[in-house]
Amino acid sequence: MRKVFKMQNDMVNLIIDGVDISVASGSTILDAAKSVGIEIPSLCHLKDLGPFGACGVCVVEIKDSPKLARACATKVSPGMVVYTKSEKALAARKFAVELIMGDHDADCQGPCKLNCPAHTDCQKYIKEIADGDYAKAVSTVMEVFPLPASVGRVCPHPCEKACRRKNVESPISIAHLKAFAADMLMKEGKAVEIKKHAPTGKSVGIIGGGPAGLTAAFKLAKAGHDVTIYDQMPEMGGMLRYGIPEYRLPKKVLRYETDAIVSLGVKFKNNFKIGRDATLDEVRAKHDGLIVANGAWKASSMRVKGEEAEGVWGGIDLLRLVATGQRPNLGSRVAIVGGGNTAMDACRTAVRLGAKDVFVIYRRTRNEMPAEQIEIEEAIEEGVKFKFLCAPDEVLSKDGRVTGMRLQIMELGEADAKGRRKPVPVVGKFETIELDTIISAIGQRNDPDGFDQLTQTEKGTIAANESDFATNLEGVFACGDSVNKGAGIAIEAIAKANTAACALDAYLKGASFKPHKPVLSERNVTEKDFTDIPRQERCKLNIRPGGERRLDFNEVNLPLSEQVARNEARRCLECGCHDFNNCALIRTANLVKADTKRLRGEFHPGFVERKLIAIERNQRKCILCNLCVRTCQDLAHKGLLGLVGRGFTTVIKPEFRDEASIAQCKDCHLCADNCPTGALKIL
Amino acid sequence: MKIIIGEGSCGIAAGARKVREALLNQRAQSEQKLVIGKTGCIGMCFLEPIVDLYTDEGQLLSRLVRVKESDAKRIYSAALDGDLSEVKDLVISKDDASFLEKQTRIALRHCGLIDPEDISAYIASDGYKALEKTIKSMTPEDVIETIKISGLAGRGGAGFPTWFKWNAARKAIGEVKYLICNADEGDPGAFMDRAVIESDPHALIEGMLIAAYAIGASKAFVYVRAEYPLAIVRLEKALAEARAKNLLGENILGSNFSCDIKIKAGAGAFVCGEETALIESLEGSRGMPRLKPPFPAEKGFTNAPSNINNVETFANVAWIILNGGEAFAAMGTETSKGTKVFALTGKVKRGGLVEIPMGLTLRDVIFDIGGGIRDGGTFKAVQMGGPSGGCIPEHLLDTQIDYKALASTGAIMGSGGMVVMDEKTCMVKMARFFLDFTAKESCGKCVPCRIGTKRMHELLVNITEGRGRPGDIELLLELSNGVKAGALCGLGQTAPNPVLTTVRYFKDEYEAHINKTCPAHECEALKKFSIDAQKCKGCTMCARQCPVSAIKGEVRAAHVIDQDKCIKCGACLALCKFGAVVSM
Repeated sequence: MRKVFKMQNDMVNLIIDGVDISVASGSTILDAAKSVGIEIPSLCHLKDLGPFGACGVCVVEIKDSPKLARACATKVSPGMVVYTKSEKALAARKFAVELIMGDHDADCQGPCKLNCPAHTDCQKYIKEIADGDYAKAVSTVMEVFPLPASVGRVCPHPCEKACRRKNVESPISIAHLKAFAADMLMKEGKAVEIKKHAPTGKSVGIIGGGPAGLTAAFKLAKAGHDVTIYDQMPEMGGMLRYGIPEYRLPKKVLRYETDAIVSLGVKFKNNFKIGRDATLDEVRAKHDGLIVANGAWKASSMRVKGEEAEGVWGGIDLLRLVATGQRPNLGSRVAIVGGGNTAMDACRTAVRLGAKDVFVIYRRTRNEMPAEQIEIEEAIEEGVKFKFLCAPDEVLSKDGRVTGMRLQIMELGEADAKGRRKPVPVVGKFETIELDTIISAIGQRNDPDGFDQLTQTEKGTIAANESDFATNLEGVFACGDSVNKGAGIAIEAIAKANTAACALDAYLKGASFKPHKPVLSERNVTEKDFTDIPRQERCKLNIRPGGERRLDFNEVNLPLSEQVARNEARRCLECGCHDFNNCALIRTANLVKADTKRLRGEFHPGFVERKLIAIERNQRKCILCNLCVRTCQDLAHKGLLGLVGRGFTTVIKPEFRDEASIAQCKDCHLCADNCPTGALKIL
Repeated sequence: MKIIIGEGSCGIAAGARKVREALLNQRAQSEQKLVIGKTGCIGMCFLEPIVDLYTDEGQLLSRLVRVKESDAKRIYSAALDGDLSEVKDLVISKDDASFLEKQTRIALRHCGLIDPEDISAYIASDGYKALEKTIKSMTPEDVIETIKISGLAGRGGAGFPTWFKWNAARKAIGEVKYLICNADEGDPGAFMDRAVIESDPHALIEGMLIAAYAIGASKAFVYVRAEYPLAIVRLEKALAEARAKNLLGENILGSNFSCDIKIKAGAGAFVCGEETALIESLEGSRGMPRLKPPFPAEKGFTNAPSNINNVETFANVAWIILNGGEAFAAMGTETSKGTKVFALTGKVKRGGLVEIPMGLTLRDVIFDIGGGIRDGGTFKAVQMGGPSGGCIPEHLLDTQIDYKALASTGAIMGSGGMVVMDEKTCMVKMARFFLDFTAKESCGKCVPCRIGTKRMHELLVNITEGRGRPGDIELLLELSNGVKAGALCGLGQTAPNPVLTTVRYFKDEYEAHINKTCPAHECEALKKFSIDAQKCKGCTMCARQCPVSAIKGEVRAAHVIDQDKCIKCGACLALCKFGAVVSM
């Protein structure tokens, strides 16, 4: 009896966020809240070290108290009423986090990942390749999409354009390394183990087996749904198979990757065209949900006089014909109209089909060409001639057959909104060339036939919600080249397919889908950041000579050697934070929805320090929570770290006078374990 | 006759030691050896060096001001002859003499009157009588009660009732208790504490011993900044003298009460004036504030109960014990009792140490005692309480010196810094100065202070350098309120005050800066030089001397300044003989 009485005496009753709590006296508000599952974020608190109160994040409001209290340090008192999420507390918490983020000169993720439309974790798989763990690297890619060898070969790689290594000499060859890793696995006949959820009993239909459809199928099959892809062509792959020439992406590589999707249980129905073999409704009725990813398969017309003449081709039509094994005779003089990647594929295909003189007609100059530089260079090596500042004016023909083309001479005028100078005709100036074949490669669009129940945009594409790709039909989502803005690059279609697949998965589970942009920390780098990095040139690709490769459709790029590839991967600057997944700071920033750049100004002194034996210390990421200093002092009992300087320029530094003190820092890592950010890295 | 030289740091800086040497030289050459003595700060820093002539009986005959070495000969001979007509030109004017007449001196009661390096001078002025009275006739509770009646509040700035802190420390459980004197006077422009220690160190020692007796402390420290070398020397000497006379140490005056005082020189961090940071520093750690609670009365130095008061607070104590709490409480207002010492500086005619009863108005201090604005300027504002305080504008000059009344203006009583500004002072630049100070002096521990003050300073730099943008004032206010609410200690919590008050009273100046003009013409980057075509004779002088060739014009024709090239060095303005260059 006496004992019970004493216990009651030692307990304190209080209310936190409306919850009645009884805790031992002497507890802090933070502890009391935690005891009932109310999480109050804090960045400088560790129970074993006692209160410190530096970060200002754990502030809470106490009833009848004008001042906010730090929950980590304030002891509970009887009858106390605490609000952890009052407007005032939340505002102060957000303010503290925004101040910290504004002085946190660090990247959560590398620019490669951020600039990949599908946010593939490039840095991670590059590291895995550097380590020689190709299976892991491929798995990393496959977290996002199932076609690493194919996409690695054809992707215009926005990741590389953003790669910071360009500030040293040139970007990492990210795309090729991805293909390299997948090739290594393929060579050994190995496959990556894919984890699949238990069957959900739901059935999904996907219309279109291109990169978007395959990605969505892969994702939904992994989620446990029963997936069937319907495709109008004899084999899967969409534009990767029928729009990309064999010399860039061998069909057997693509086949290897689509086979893996089949082995995941996805059913392929080829030669199946909506509107011909079944209506959209009929397909829809067979499944619980549908993804429409039917692509953009119609070449845009040049809209010039005479283009109906025999010998005028659509670029993608030609590529598709060649992809199915046919070798049409284009004659000896061929002109390709357009400056994009399809134009490059078409002109190089024309060369391989035996044309003697192949011209690319482009109305601007080389600088404005949307095609990849490497494609242009390789086309020139293969003998393609470029006629810049020319626009088709009229297709000339005799007896309904092309004989040539009249070209309007252009010049560059004012820059448009994107800064690209607009071509304008030079009045009265024309040129005529003799031709046997004209290939129009100025764009492609979708074919709405069979999909008329779906609302269309003004452009004639399928209208889908940009955040979840839902269409006007319930349970029907649409992504890829046939949606909204129309055709883009494969990785963009893949990105949208992932979102659409997640949205459909949520729909099938009756859950809500709320895509959100995570709060991330990003550095503003300057030239100075790269001056100390030793130069190491980008690996040279193994490309067959132009004179040789123009004669056949065999792959242009020969495989990289393992040594070259791993050395290339080792060039990675590892911009993204090693601690991103465990970072308390970014977790808190997301929790309070902080604007990371609002209170940005000058940064505190930043440098990477390696005086400690076991730990690398990055001052740029340090938020001065002092946990390392206190851990080293009070938990490790070594006291190797201390604060130096005053005010904003304060930093944490080890102070070593002799070898013996340096030797004390070994195998302990406690400071790094307790660091709330990625400032400390275990070596 | 006796010759007494004012030798506080202020007098010494103005040349008092050279005057002393010259006078000693005169004495060496003279057959009659007059007494040449010294005293501390007389308070009229604007008149230093000051030499007082006393009768042998100790009556002040004449006060000579702004004395130079070359005056020594005639001063010595005047003192010898008793004929003051020789030094008539050096005698303080009536007007200036009124500077002291309007003051009521309690904390400064001996300043400028006694030799700070001679304990007998202090004892002769009723020194240590209060200690004797305390030890022999009062219980600690009596002492605390007397202080409670007096209404004495912490003079360091916060104005917390002194008796309450003493009582808390007295009641706290602990075998050893500590008494600490905070002499880490760090506000720019404040020198009250330095003057007390330099001029009357025993008043501090006596006040501390009475406090130690009241709370039951046997060990005491004076934490004084190392930048006060003279204060440290005089305090060391005073402690030694007191110890020799059994006024300090074991069994003081034969009683059971023992207490010794040690000096700890601080390394000059502003934050160490914050009591918990001071304790950390005293313990040998980096000066960083601790979370409160626990307050020092419960867990202070080495986690033992400790009481911390400021120098001026202690300097009042002996007077209160001798004259009674009621006498002290009779001065002042309802909410603020006694007197307060201010260091009056800035654009005021007469700057120096001012001690006045609470309840006088700012106008009384600045205009009656300080004589108003010097050089014919007009009053714009007064900054109270240094970097932790705020500015008070002209229309609030009749505000009383009272903790509550001053706080209602957004400023604070503070430790006593009172910086007067005239119309040529840019208020934004002033706020920038103080934020530069606090941002640099932040200990770096808590986020709101470390990063928040830095961001505020960055904004103020942008605004004063012509890079201000719409929305900056709002952001400044948001940062101010955020830092005030979130900072861990007083330094951070008060750091935004200069910004908050200048925005409150001088928002138009901020707006003007954002529109690229500085109304006070003080901000270099916002200055604009131009040439009045009517006045310009085309002499080409300015064009030839302009370091960036920003001035163009034909000979004998009006010149023009290229504003894009101009670096605002002002060379043309200084050169032009015709007054044609104007600064806007």
